[in-house]
Amino acid sequence: MNRKHAVLIALLVLEVVVFTMLERAGGAASTGVAEHVAGYLAGVLEQSAPALALAFGMTLVLATGGIDLSVGSMAALIACVLASFEPGASFWYTAVPAGLALSLVLGLTNGLLIAGLEMPPIIATLGTMILYRGFCFVVLGDLERAPFFDVPGWPALGELPFVVAMVAVLWGGAGTWVARSRWRREVLFLGGNRVAARYAGLRVFRRTVEVYTISGLLAFLAAVTFTARNFSANAETLRGFELEVIVAVVLGGTRVEGGTASLLGSFLGVLVIALLEEGLRGASLWAENALPFHPSHLRYIVLGLLLVGAVSANSRRGTRGVWRKGAVRSSPRRSPDRLGGKGSRDGIDSPSSNSEE
Amino acid sequence: MSFAAPPPSRFLARRLGFLAASNAVLLVCLYLRLEEGASFESILGAVARDAGPVLLAALGLTGIIAAGAIDLSIGSIIAVSGSVFGILIHREATPLFAWTACVGTAALLSLLNVGLVLALRVSAIIVTLGALAAWRGLALIVAEIGIPEFNGGLTVSAPYAPPGSDHANAIVFAATVFVLVFARVAKTPRTWIALGDSLEAARLQGLRPGRVLTSSFAAGGVLLGLSALVHVTQLGTIEPARLARGFELRVVGAVVLGGTNIFGGEASWLGTALGVLLLHFLDLTLVYAGVNPYWREVIVGAAILVVIGADCFLHREAKRLREVS
Repeated sequence: MNRKHAVLIALLVLEVVVFTMLERAGGAASTGVAEHVAGYLAGVLEQSAPALALAFGMTLVLATGGIDLSVGSMAALIACVLASFEPGASFWYTAVPAGLALSLVLGLTNGLLIAGLEMPPIIATLGTMILYRGFCFVVLGDLERAPFFDVPGWPALGELPFVVAMVAVLWGGAGTWVARSRWRREVLFLGGNRVAARYAGLRVFRRTVEVYTISGLLAFLAAVTFTARNFSANAETLRGFELEVIVAVVLGGTRVEGGTASLLGSFLGVLVIALLEEGLRGASLWAENALPFHPSHLRYIVLGLLLVGAVSANSRRGTRGVWRKGAVRSSPRRSPDRLGGKGSRDGIDSPSSNSEE
Repeated sequence: MSFAAPPPSRFLARRLGFLAASNAVLLVCLYLRLEEGASFESILGAVARDAGPVLLAALGLTGIIAAGAIDLSIGSIIAVSGSVFGILIHREATPLFAWTACVGTAALLSLLNVGLVLALRVSAIIVTLGALAAWRGLALIVAEIGIPEFNGGLTVSAPYAPPGSDHANAIVFAATVFVLVFARVAKTPRTWIALGDSLEAARLQGLRPGRVLTSSFAAGGVLLGLSALVHVTQLGTIEPARLARGFELRVVGAVVLGGTNIFGGEASWLGTALGVLLLHFLDLTLVYAGVNPYWREVIVGAAILVVIGADCFLHREAKRLREVS
């Protein structure tokens, strides 16, 4: 817990207060304030389950200096494949293992493209983002399928107890383990300086593949919690979701250049954004007459402002001043700089590629 | 000519050769697969119109990426341009004014993007990722404020349509030729490449990074505006919520396919044009080969991955060979 987390928590409290007031001003005041807020928070938590699942993986990916643009497409493809199975009890031992295996394959593909072929992560996952989305259309076409309601026990996966359990296991359990592990330091080292990491004897290839595979597996969890709440999936499901996840993670204090990551921050970031969306939806009652446009459009603008503002605040220290005269960068050629900031071209430099320049 | 661009690197030359060859192969496939009714000439005649919006935007983005930045918000910028254009049509402005406003809006937003990059000192990918969301919201808000009884769509009436129908080929062709010649003889594009290659070296050579970057976004913004104009006037209705959604992916894909280094410092406008054509002809060939339309997105994604993956693989192998020797 540091100052940045305190700011996020303050932001959360502020959102709850403002939106509760707006909503009650809009006429939805049938219950007491405490009940109202509790129900509100529970709803937000249920709603943000897919984002919570993906943000965990995204934090790790960004920590290595990579990026995973394909998370939305991955979760959508898994949801589409799940949706193409027949409902009934058999769903649990046909569709679920198939979805899990698929998530493993999708994540591994990303990892192997990036670590094996040394493709820049942003390009590799841009390609797989288009590719996986294309497969969604191949699987479902223009259909919208909804077998989930008739799968015994499936709707419970979208309800509060399961979501709380997921948060406890993922963010509480795994998060605590990661925060204390040597694994975390290796992943951060990788993001901070890949060349040095390789010289230090870290298994760069393995760690990279692991991180993207985890991102894939969590996309399965996102698909499950999403379908358990929405009951249906089509090929356009979760389009553009990766943006929301990246914004949440960056808002939490993780740097896109890698080397700095905060799991707690990502968790709070997801909640801030989920509250904002829910709040704008609730506030529309009040704002319908006060504004000349639909208030839900503000969501896009606030999302953009939050992202840019958060990154700007995060990067105030450290690399500031590249533009200033006399500021000397000690990093090698093609290192992340203030303009591109997208990592090295080679994805992973071997020590020799640096020394030859 | 004193300002003639240096010859392309071995990597770029290889990529250009590959793109030219695969375009030729695809054209032959198209020629052989044509059914009764569709003539080869009609397909070639429609290339500039059909691939035009992507081509113009991609040529503009090439300069921005060459300078070490990126603009992910181009689809949303087109949406704002479309909204502004639709409102002017609704208010019955003169066509010339509406067209100018459409191009000008895109150029202005592009400059706003670079202004934010420079003022906040945040990497361009983050600023434009935020702008991708923000401009989309702006497009919707502008449309709803500009037209009180807005119902999600704005119609493009006949007097406003020429840039997308009659003049599309001329606009796209003229702009493309201008860009290719400009990239070959002018100094400015090379300052972008220099900046993208090494910010520090460019600064020490006397270039002013802020200005160079701004010029790349300005040029990209004008081309994006032309792209928006051609694209928007081709449509019967402008829907700000859906207009040009996912456009940036196709454009970035084409630019990267064309051999431009996504991290800047190496760029080829000719390669970008060939990359756009490759994706376009690939699409057409798949249509005429009777491939299920649902598979087309998969094949486009796979094509981008395979071409760039093969390149990265060769790059790595070359590096290993150097290590051994």
